Amino acid sequence: MASLIGYYSLIIGFGISFLIIFFSIKNLSKSKLDNKIIFSVFFQFFFVSLSFLGLVQSFISSDFSNETVFNHSHTTVPTFYKISGAWGNHEGSLLLWLLVLTLFIFLFLLRSNDQPKKYRILTLLFQQIIIVGFFVFLIKTSSPFNYIFPIPKEGLGLNPILQDPALAIHPPILYLGYVGSSIIFSSALAAIVTNYISSSWAKHIKKWILTSWIFLTLGILLGSIWAYYELGWGGFWFWDPVENVSLMPWLALITLLHCTLVLEKKQILTSWVVILSIATFTLSMCGTFLVRSGILNSVHTFANDPERGLYILIFLFILVFLSIFIFLFFYKSEKTTINSFFWLSKETSILVNNWFMMYFLSVVLIGTTYPIFLEVLSSEQISVGPPFYNKLIIPFLVPFLLAMAIGPKLKWIKSELENKLNLILFLIISLLLSTFIIRNLDISFLINTILVTSAFYLFLITLKDFFSKKFNNLSQNFAHFSFSLLILSILFNNFLSTEIITNLKINETYENDSLKINFKSIEQRDEQNFKAIIGKFVIEHNGGQTDIMQPELRIYNQPNIITSEADIKTTLYKDKFMTMNSVQNQEYFNIRYQVKPFMIWIWLSTFLISLSGLIGFFKKRYEN
Amino acid sequence: MRSLKFFIVILIIFNFNLVHAKTKNLDEKITKNLRCLICQGQSVHDSDSEFAISLKTLVKKKLNEGDSEEEIYNYLKDKYGEWILYDPGFSKNTYFLWLLPLLMFLIGGAIILKLFIYKKN
Repeated sequence: MASLIGYYSLIIGFGISFLIIFFSIKNLSKSKLDNKIIFSVFFQFFFVSLSFLGLVQSFISSDFSNETVFNHSHTTVPTFYKISGAWGNHEGSLLLWLLVLTLFIFLFLLRSNDQPKKYRILTLLFQQIIIVGFFVFLIKTSSPFNYIFPIPKEGLGLNPILQDPALAIHPPILYLGYVGSSIIFSSALAAIVTNYISSSWAKHIKKWILTSWIFLTLGILLGSIWAYYELGWGGFWFWDPVENVSLMPWLALITLLHCTLVLEKKQILTSWVVILSIATFTLSMCGTFLVRSGILNSVHTFANDPERGLYILIFLFILVFLSIFIFLFFYKSEKTTINSFFWLSKETSILVNNWFMMYFLSVVLIGTTYPIFLEVLSSEQISVGPPFYNKLIIPFLVPFLLAMAIGPKLKWIKSELENKLNLILFLIISLLLSTFIIRNLDISFLINTILVTSAFYLFLITLKDFFSKKFNNLSQNFAHFSFSLLILSILFNNFLSTEIITNLKINETYENDSLKINFKSIEQRDEQNFKAIIGKFVIEHNGGQTDIMQPELRIYNQPNIITSEADIKTTLYKDKFMTMNSVQNQEYFNIRYQVKPFMIWIWLSTFLISLSGLIGFFKKRYEN
Repeated sequence: MRSLKFFIVILIIFNFNLVHAKTKNLDEKITKNLRCLICQGQSVHDSDSEFAISLKTLVKKKLNEGDSEEEIYNYLKDKYGEWILYDPGFSKNTYFLWLLPLLMFLIGGAIILKLFIYKKN
């Protein structure tokens, strides 16, 4: 029943698209926005929501006549994961895409009353093109409401690694950011057509950029936390293609955000802002294509087939050609651009930011897509992993961090560096500080010292500015400060992590010169849809302090998969992390014990970064 | 001012003898650079699958026999293909991979520079 409502709501929503397009075109020449349009946009959102709720309800009631439910659920899955299972698969996650698309255009219409009417209508039209594309995609190739007969008694079950609270809310949050960038795309195209790329447009679109970016940051954070404790290797970022795919729009968004700050002040860089706006959503679409087509080898590739990949690819090309066409035919370049740059000014520092961001973006883009092209062209398979990204990104971080510290101090148009002595003094302090720390930690080598120095530099300068600048640019300073905190935590986490991997039987003890790991016992527990095997380990540190760690193995009933749940003891300074794995045909277990300093600071600083976006969102005006 | 600059130079020189990293855990470094072929996006070091465990043992054995890092990579590359190495290395297959981003950086720099040169004219 719920499935049926879902299906018909979807069809009705699709129909409303044409109604909206018809009304909008009719309304183009009128002076006032027709209320009918806003109502139809609302109804479209309403019906897509209804359709989504229909799917969720089918999952809750385990209606296995629905193919998606049958493939991705089971009666024994806890209700919470039945619900999250609704978007933990290809069909459902696309319905979520569509839901966010319709939500954002509805919000856009509500929140853009002060904008020119023609611009609003055109934004709606472009957004409808995307929405229609996704309706067709959903209904034609990946309907979440396919009916199966005879009705199966039991579902195939939800992938156990998706049965996790962080991962349950990760897709909706991520999608709000990912798909939210569609509104930037549509409105940029509309702004070109109406020749409205101006400082008032920049002010207005900045809110949407911030919104997408905040959610995207949080979404990436959640995914990263999940990977940390669920995948059992204690890392938080692996430069996996699917991680990269979310990082690319993130980088494009933050570049765009900085760029609109310039546009807000002066009528320059307009073409660049437009290109970035288009690129951001295109990168989100590329990401969807790469993930959904099954080209990538990753945990995110649910069941997939080539037809879907082909459809997204064609749709992507249509959108790209459409935007190129509009850009070439409608875009009027600014007249008084060039004379307005002085080498030492805020504009220049923002250009430098854009320069580095685009470089990082191209590293990630090329690193992610190159192996695919190579395989197609020469059928040779290569892997591009962490070493590649580390080599190309880390050296560039040093000037980037320094520029992040100095850039915000410059003024618009033409500037002098004030307090030069102060800046140099801080550099020396950071250099001394990092030399001292690095020496004492016995991790000496040059690049470490330089990296830590530049991170400390940004840290100290932004810290000082909290006190001296009377908070007139809080969100910027807060964001840069949090970023330095993030880099510092990552660096020290990297330097100081230690790891012990060993095989232990029950009652055996592992011993080295700083600690003893004693495998005490093992107990079994039956849960709703899995059997838990919980190990009990006593860790005696040389200082006399002891920890009890209880990592867990879960044997899920449907599908029959074993997952390993880490036991993590978090403190402000470090995480202690233990996982246990069974080894086939052996009595012993494979034990991995890690001490990871400053883990919580990595999460916290990323959270602070998105919080700074929120501060920027509620602030009235950017500083002068 | 001058003494400050001098001071910085001294500090940098002081740090310069440390350019090379100590290879404390070579086997860890190597296994982190190997793809676990049966896993999804995990390195051999991070994985506890049987394939990963056997490869970890193999790397340790080879190191004990006195093989160098390079030799182990080459051995594994011959056996499993280049797919197994996370560090793609610089070869005819990967010229573009390494140089394209750097080229982008140079082009970006050139564009920004152009903005200022135009200004002078």
